[in-house]
Amino acid sequence: MFMHSKRNSIKTLAAAVAAVVALGMATLPTVSQADETSCSPFTPLIKGQEDFVYVWTLGVQGIGDGSDKLVTVDVNPKSKNFGKVIASLSVGGRNEAHHLGLSDDRRYLWGGGLDSSKIFIFDIHSNPAKPKLVKTIDDFVAKSDGIVGPHTFYATPGRMIITGLSNNKDHGGVSANVIYNGKGDYIKTVPVPTTMVGGAQGDGYNYDVAINPRRNAMLSTSFTGWNNYMMDLGKMVKDPEAMKHFGNTTVMWDYKTMKPIKVFNTPGAPLEARWSWAKGDNFAVTTTALTSNIWIFDQDKQGEWQAHNVGTIGNPADIPLPVDISIGNDGKSVWINTFMDGTTRYWDFSDRYHPKEVYTKKIGSQVNMVSQSYDGKRVYFTTSLLGNWDKKGADDEQFLKMYYWDGKELKEGFSIDFYKEKLGRAHHMKFQVRDLKSLQPLRAEADAPDNVRLASLPGDGK
Amino acid sequence: MMSGLGVRAARVVAVAAFLVVGVAHAATPAQIVAPLGLPPMTVPEGNPLTREKIDLGRRLFMDRRLSHNNTMSCGMCHVPEQGFTSNELGAAIGMEGRSLRRNSPSMYNVGYQRTFFHEGREPHLEDQVWGPLLTKVEMDMPSVGYVVEKVRQLPEYRGLFEAAFGGPATAERIGQAIASWERTLVSGNSRFDRWYYGHQADALTAREQAGFTVFMGKGRCAVCHLVGDRSALFTDHLYHNTGLGWERTMFPERNSYKVQLAPGVFVQVMGAMLKSFEPPQPDVGRYEVTIDPKDRWAYKTPSLRNVALTRPYMHDGSLATLEEVVEFYDKGGIDNENKSPLLQRLNLDYEEKTALVAFLKTLTGDNIEALANDARLAPASPPNLSRDPSDAYSESVAGHP
Repeated sequence: MFMHSKRNSIKTLAAAVAAVVALGMATLPTVSQADETSCSPFTPLIKGQEDFVYVWTLGVQGIGDGSDKLVTVDVNPKSKNFGKVIASLSVGGRNEAHHLGLSDDRRYLWGGGLDSSKIFIFDIHSNPAKPKLVKTIDDFVAKSDGIVGPHTFYATPGRMIITGLSNNKDHGGVSANVIYNGKGDYIKTVPVPTTMVGGAQGDGYNYDVAINPRRNAMLSTSFTGWNNYMMDLGKMVKDPEAMKHFGNTTVMWDYKTMKPIKVFNTPGAPLEARWSWAKGDNFAVTTTALTSNIWIFDQDKQGEWQAHNVGTIGNPADIPLPVDISIGNDGKSVWINTFMDGTTRYWDFSDRYHPKEVYTKKIGSQVNMVSQSYDGKRVYFTTSLLGNWDKKGADDEQFLKMYYWDGKELKEGFSIDFYKEKLGRAHHMKFQVRDLKSLQPLRAEADAPDNVRLASLPGDGK
Repeated sequence: MMSGLGVRAARVVAVAAFLVVGVAHAATPAQIVAPLGLPPMTVPEGNPLTREKIDLGRRLFMDRRLSHNNTMSCGMCHVPEQGFTSNELGAAIGMEGRSLRRNSPSMYNVGYQRTFFHEGREPHLEDQVWGPLLTKVEMDMPSVGYVVEKVRQLPEYRGLFEAAFGGPATAERIGQAIASWERTLVSGNSRFDRWYYGHQADALTAREQAGFTVFMGKGRCAVCHLVGDRSALFTDHLYHNTGLGWERTMFPERNSYKVQLAPGVFVQVMGAMLKSFEPPQPDVGRYEVTIDPKDRWAYKTPSLRNVALTRPYMHDGSLATLEEVVEFYDKGGIDNENKSPLLQRLNLDYEEKTALVAFLKTLTGDNIEALANDARLAPASPPNLSRDPSDAYSESVAGHP
């Protein structure tokens, strides 16, 4: 059965930290910690070459078996299977497969379905080249008191924070964060505020979370409910009622108590939340899908969190639809994908208050997710945004592409056509290594040992 | 296919008051008090109201497990707190986000309707639910028997059909139970009713009364939205071509669309930018039922009761506010070959339009919150079946001849 335990996780962590300390401070990660796009600071990282990329893939009626599936791609250039699909695990149905999240020990991978609200937990350590489905949670809605659409899976020690996007009362956008333990048992539901907090009105909408353990801070963003994220994108854009129902807020939380500290007005659906891990930075970044703005969040001299609108992506009147972002491991750069024109944009964040777009490349007719390796030298792209938001006809390209990045230009390493392979729509990616002993210690632990203790959620009863 | 499911013999049952009397299989008869402004309701003889059927129907109506993938209940499109429609969508969205052509009609006073759906394709409330249950773009259940087996296997329904009907779940009983609860969604005794039928002189303001005058006279609204001497359903139960459906089908795409990006932030998006997405679907209205060319793009006159709560408006939800609706009719609709001769340019002035909208907002019943609360008495999130119901059924009959 599902083998993960908090004790094992902490034990593994302690061993990893001890090993690093024994080798001397020179071998400790320096200020530039591994990024790996969006990994929790409580998840061990891949420092060197990733061996596999898992792609959470949406089933498409008429394409292969039509089922959602976890696709494993061999991405190690030294492998004879480099750039090839080596495993495909169908989970049954079209659940609106969306995001994946690694467990706190990187031995398990959680994937959610925004439509069915099912959660699938895969064993990715017994044989990382061939994941196994070890648990399906099909009572998320019932357990969470009506939360629909599990989106982000963000590991903390012994826990998984799951953001919900909608609810089962009206399929609108008012939702909550739902806490599970590492075994996949429900613990509690934390509603997103709908009241005034810190001078701004909460709208209750939700999307992503990211934690800065150094500041005991968690940032959450806001998207839209089932009604909209399940609808054809063109139909939605033409529906004035539907367009009124997007999130316009971000929320800074006291992570340990899970209490909202401050609501920010960030109009137009702020999506991915990322913290810079560079020493002394303590700023987070997000982009708004509809208004095409870049926001950063940091503390003022009084220690109060503030939001700053620092940039505009493309021409907002064309709704380029900024979607996934990936912040560099030193906090000095951010990849930003714009779905509608299929373009990735490299932004120089050396001055985070005045970031500049310095490079663009068209990846395909549409592009959504971007994930970069630890050193930023390999950048992966996939295409699917949502099953009914993807383009139709010839523009509905579905692929995984890997590029090499030399700081100036992207050069294609390989490309896999997910329709040609009868797989489906390629969405979220997570990396894995063949040998889990090569994983780096937690970023949170390296930053400050107390952060792991801090991460334990009080009063959760389990 | 559905002809065997309906209740065919109907007679008028004058409903006057709730009664509680023991009858066969211990069901508890129930009757509905018609509130001020509404007539007695016709209840089919073959499906008398009982408390057990009403409670069962509520539960079925609100149960997301009545869709193939357990995500859609009737109440997800007819949201109790949103006027039993969806205030957040123009045209509805079904299972897996599939596009419907039309706005979810409000369920208030549905028991008084003579036909169902915007084009009136279904004559019986008892049968109506099978449309959404089986339609691919709505709840997408594979078959009638699949629905029946699923309901039979859901533990929360154990004993409920027996208490309501004296036997297990059947297709007919599922429809009867849901229709029974839907008939309880009665809403009247509005401020208008208290003024017009209750003779409470101060129930409406002077402006609202002026709006009623426009409604009955120059505005020509009451030509289709009928007001009787003793009650008003605000509908003639007929179908009319206003031109809206014709335009949406014949000229579905615009050069550009005004799109809200955030509160107060709008852009004009060129239609060409949206060519990679789903095109609008044609909709010929009542003609799809009768195949009579005179019915092209005709849609049923909706009741106006609680109209302030049931935005967006028109069969496709394309008009966001009552003000937009008044503007549409002030222009006499949209000219086309089949446009109803009842629609004419009205030339209402600003005061008349404002008064008319004010009057329409007086049609809100006095029990809106109670009806929403009643709907939420149904269990919110019962667990899904762990096995497919057709597999479980096949196994249960294995070995039987």
